[in-house]
Amino acid sequence: MTERLPLPYGSRIKRDTPVSARFDGRELPALEGDTVASALVASGQWVISRSFKYHRPRGPLTMAGHDANTLVQTRAAPNRLADELPIADYPETTAQNLSGSLMADRSAIIDWFGRFLPVGFYYRAFYRPFGVWHWWERMIRKAAGLGVANLSASPHYQDKQYLFCDVAVVGAGPAGLSAALKAAEGGASVLLVDEEPELGGSLTYHRFAIDSDAVRSEAETLIAKVASHPRIKVLTHALCNGWFTDHYLPVIQGDRLFKVRAKSCVLATGISEQHVVFRNNDLPGVVLCSALERLLNHYAVAPQGELVVLAGNDQAWMTALTAAEAGLPVAAVVDLRDAPDDAALLAEANARGMTVYMGATVYTARRDSESQSLCAVDIHHIDSQGEVGELIAQTDCAVLAMSAGFMPAYQLACQAGAKLDYDDGRAAFSLSGLPAGLFLAGSVNSMYALDAVLADGRNAARAALRCIDMTADEDESVTCAAQVNHSWPIFPHPKGREFVDFDEDLQIKDIVNATRLGYRDVQLVKRYSTVGMGPSQGRHAALPTARLVAKATERTVSETGVTTARPPVKPEALGHIAGRRFHPHRHTAIADRHAAAGAQWMPVGLWGRPAFYGEPNYKQRCVAEEVTAVRTGVGVIDVSTLGGIELRGPDAAEFMNRFYTYGFLKQPVGRTRYAVLVSEQGVVMDDGVAARLAEDRFYVTATTGGVDRVYREMLRWNAQWRLSVDITNLTAALSAINIAGPDSRAVIEALDCSIDLSADAFPYLCCREGDVAGVPACLMRVGFVGELGYELHVPSLFAAALWDAVMEAGEPWRIKPFGVEAQRLLRLEKGHIIVGQDTDGMTHPSEVGLDWAINRSKPDFVGRRSVDILAASAPIRQLVGFSLELTAPKPLEGHLVIKDGDIVGNVTSCAVSPSLNQIIGLAYAHPDTANPGDRIAIRTEGGVLVQARVEGLPFYDPQNARQAL
Amino acid sequence: MSLRSPLEGRGMIEGHGGLRLIDLTLARRGGLRGSGAREWLLSQGHTVPAAPNQIVASGESDSVMSLSHREFWLLQPNCGASSARPAAVAVAAGIWPLYCQHSHAWLQVAGEPRAEIMAKLCGVDLSEAAFPQGSVAQTQVARVSVIVAAHQDQDGRSVFSIFVDQSLARYLWEVISDAMKEWLG
Repeated sequence: MTERLPLPYGSRIKRDTPVSARFDGRELPALEGDTVASALVASGQWVISRSFKYHRPRGPLTMAGHDANTLVQTRAAPNRLADELPIADYPETTAQNLSGSLMADRSAIIDWFGRFLPVGFYYRAFYRPFGVWHWWERMIRKAAGLGVANLSASPHYQDKQYLFCDVAVVGAGPAGLSAALKAAEGGASVLLVDEEPELGGSLTYHRFAIDSDAVRSEAETLIAKVASHPRIKVLTHALCNGWFTDHYLPVIQGDRLFKVRAKSCVLATGISEQHVVFRNNDLPGVVLCSALERLLNHYAVAPQGELVVLAGNDQAWMTALTAAEAGLPVAAVVDLRDAPDDAALLAEANARGMTVYMGATVYTARRDSESQSLCAVDIHHIDSQGEVGELIAQTDCAVLAMSAGFMPAYQLACQAGAKLDYDDGRAAFSLSGLPAGLFLAGSVNSMYALDAVLADGRNAARAALRCIDMTADEDESVTCAAQVNHSWPIFPHPKGREFVDFDEDLQIKDIVNATRLGYRDVQLVKRYSTVGMGPSQGRHAALPTARLVAKATERTVSETGVTTARPPVKPEALGHIAGRRFHPHRHTAIADRHAAAGAQWMPVGLWGRPAFYGEPNYKQRCVAEEVTAVRTGVGVIDVSTLGGIELRGPDAAEFMNRFYTYGFLKQPVGRTRYAVLVSEQGVVMDDGVAARLAEDRFYVTATTGGVDRVYREMLRWNAQWRLSVDITNLTAALSAINIAGPDSRAVIEALDCSIDLSADAFPYLCCREGDVAGVPACLMRVGFVGELGYELHVPSLFAAALWDAVMEAGEPWRIKPFGVEAQRLLRLEKGHIIVGQDTDGMTHPSEVGLDWAINRSKPDFVGRRSVDILAASAPIRQLVGFSLELTAPKPLEGHLVIKDGDIVGNVTSCAVSPSLNQIIGLAYAHPDTANPGDRIAIRTEGGVLVQARVEGLPFYDPQNARQAL
Repeated sequence: MSLRSPLEGRGMIEGHGGLRLIDLTLARRGGLRGSGAREWLLSQGHTVPAAPNQIVASGESDSVMSLSHREFWLLQPNCGASSARPAAVAVAAGIWPLYCQHSHAWLQVAGEPRAEIMAKLCGVDLSEAAFPQGSVAQTQVARVSVIVAAHQDQDGRSVFSIFVDQSLARYLWEVISDAMKEWLG
């Protein structure tokens, strides 16, 4: 392990906090603040991973999590980037995508056969001769994928949070800091987001000028102002992973996805440094200049061995100066140009005794066989674009820092619709065509000199302020003529291995060959070669690819363009998208009582309802006992999930009359009526019971799943009819209990009821209001389950207490709670339909025997015209009751009804009736076989046809005597 | 016969900095709807918000919340819930009582981070700057419909009163408590 550099180097590490870590099973000394990659380089190891296709050794390229060279495996997940993975949080990591060990990967033999594996070979190689694919498939599946998913990993808590601000600034480098401060000083609430763990961006590692002290001081002042400003909220270690319409920004920080809603947005996303394309440019030890600067300044890591700097711009010379100041031996500075733009840099380098090669390039990097990392470079003269001349020098070195130029971090801007333009003269990109409210600042806006960057940030803030109608002072005049991109940093080698895309192991010939196969468009080259599809999403490959495609197709880069940027900017975990999931669930006010009574729950929409009470293994017996209790004694069911809607006002009856199929104008006060709602297409939508409580007041029930739609339809129609009626959904406000069975009257009478419950005073299909057990209640005599029964509708906060009172009062009659399973069976015995179960999206009233519920003497009702048309046409199916002996195969809901080999209907309900001791059900049958005594064929499980007998409805108590007691 | 809150037994959740989630479902509230509701409330001596989606203090501890030009809720946290069924007849021509005592549970969140807590659940900016005292939002929280009112409680603390369908009260209590966890220490 090398000694760390002294302060002020190492801004991210805590020197007095060592971390015990292991990489690939070996001890790895580290400090808190290190990443896995920085600790490895500090320990003298450059090799971190094996490449995707050729299994070549790879080391860090960017030290910023912007390349795939550092993908490693943690205990919980594969494909984590070692150069952004805090070692304190991930002390155990291993290499991945290898066979054997990191330093002796048997799969590296593929590298020797690379010439036989050209780009796109897999499109053409595996399907001939016929049948060979199955052999290949096994091989490919075995080789596919990187790392190992931990299938036993338990999910951890991830959630989402909205964040709101006037101005969102993405990127906390100098431009972002400057923009955030200016916007906040202008009165805006500002959110400043950066993926790095600290504020400052490039200010934390790049010197910007030969005299770095002044820059450092200015940076510290700026950072302190931003950090302490009350209107600036800072999110570091936070990745803005997309831009969506109206400045909706997903920002990932730790286990949380922030959904940022900004009124305007400044992108200060900076630039991606570009590599030089030469032979073996992927060797561990070959890094971008910014990566070396990060190693030095963030982690105080001075890599062992000599350094060569390969410069395509003046910024690389700054790296050489920084490295020299840190004590690294600079073996040479190689400049692709004939001279640096700033002559002072050359003078400074000369003064420091550096060897300088101008108009030259590294043509080949050489590998040390033991460390499998860089050991030397061959330096050649550049003769012409992409052509090299004689070897000037072969220089031993362990580190090569390179910079061919910069590409704007354009992803977010392009997601927002910006156009990436290329200036062939300056070899530089620029962005244009941003949507309203989105602004660029700093280097992403082609500003490179620090003063220009800061001023550009302020101008972007001013624009953002104006955009949200806040005042801003005049813009500053900003220009930046710096040329930072070399026009052709690409040097083909006869032996290849000049990598354009490190993620996908793509070389110059791969891109060129793709164009020769006819893929002239850069988008097609991307799809054919997979260039830019890896984790770095073209940050480094897009520009050389565009240049190569342009040259190969004899066009300019501006004509070729680059591939499309889509979200996400960087890979994101599915857990971030899922977040903390919300599953609303509704409970009736009596739910605790059901749970205490041993309810087994079933979902009904969002509601949980008791299916039955008792042990799950004895379901049938429990349901049968509940049915028997209702038929022979008394049972009670919580029907609070039923919808309840109140209509109040002088036009309440008129509204009911227009809305439902039955007649309601003459419905007497104190009476109930069956209410059927059909759609404008004549389809049965819902049903319920309408109770007239006063001349100007109706209370109507609706099905559990249908009440919201019914209520919505009522409001919609009354918006047209403009009747004087107030419509209120009382589903939540009122809870309901149905007490049913021959002893139900006695139970309610025992409850201190203010209503005369005698059959004469309160007959079947009537409703009354009064007090039951001291609770204000609306009682309805209903017969859904076919026994004497009362539905008690009470204010919800009383429901639990009323339930307790009912259970206590019913003890002498052995009252039993019953669930939905028993209720459905009881109603089936009575032949009552359930809308939604016994009807479908085509059912009209005639098909289910509801003609009687249609009043054709009234002028109109919703769906009247369609109902009349359907009733006048020849029927094609009819809902009928059927029965089978207990020994027959029991049909299931959905089983088909067959007639002469054709499907004519299906079973909608079916159960074993304990009251009738046979299988009973409802099914759609052909009208020719819909009369009692007819036979219908039902295809049951396994295709077994059973002949069921059509029965008249109801099955049970056909005279309806029991419910009218 | 006693009234039972759907949140019975949930108690209260308290954290640092005055953070608190309580159940006020059994506190009194009533509502009125109709074209003359506003004038009727004024005639009864109540202070009434000038526009929909606002809440104002009325009297010593009551508040009046407007949900539209013709719908108002009267909140009386110091009184117990009314045990009567809401009057079924109009209080005046075209003015009908509402059932908000029983239809909606009443949760109240107090404390400094309340807007941040709600930002985990709700897409509306409920920060003081965007949603000052006196504001009311009829919106979605954790995928269910709610009414959120920013006002002061009787002790002068800034709070969010949240009204939700009483059948969803337990669910909402769960998600709000979950969102509060990082401030509970």
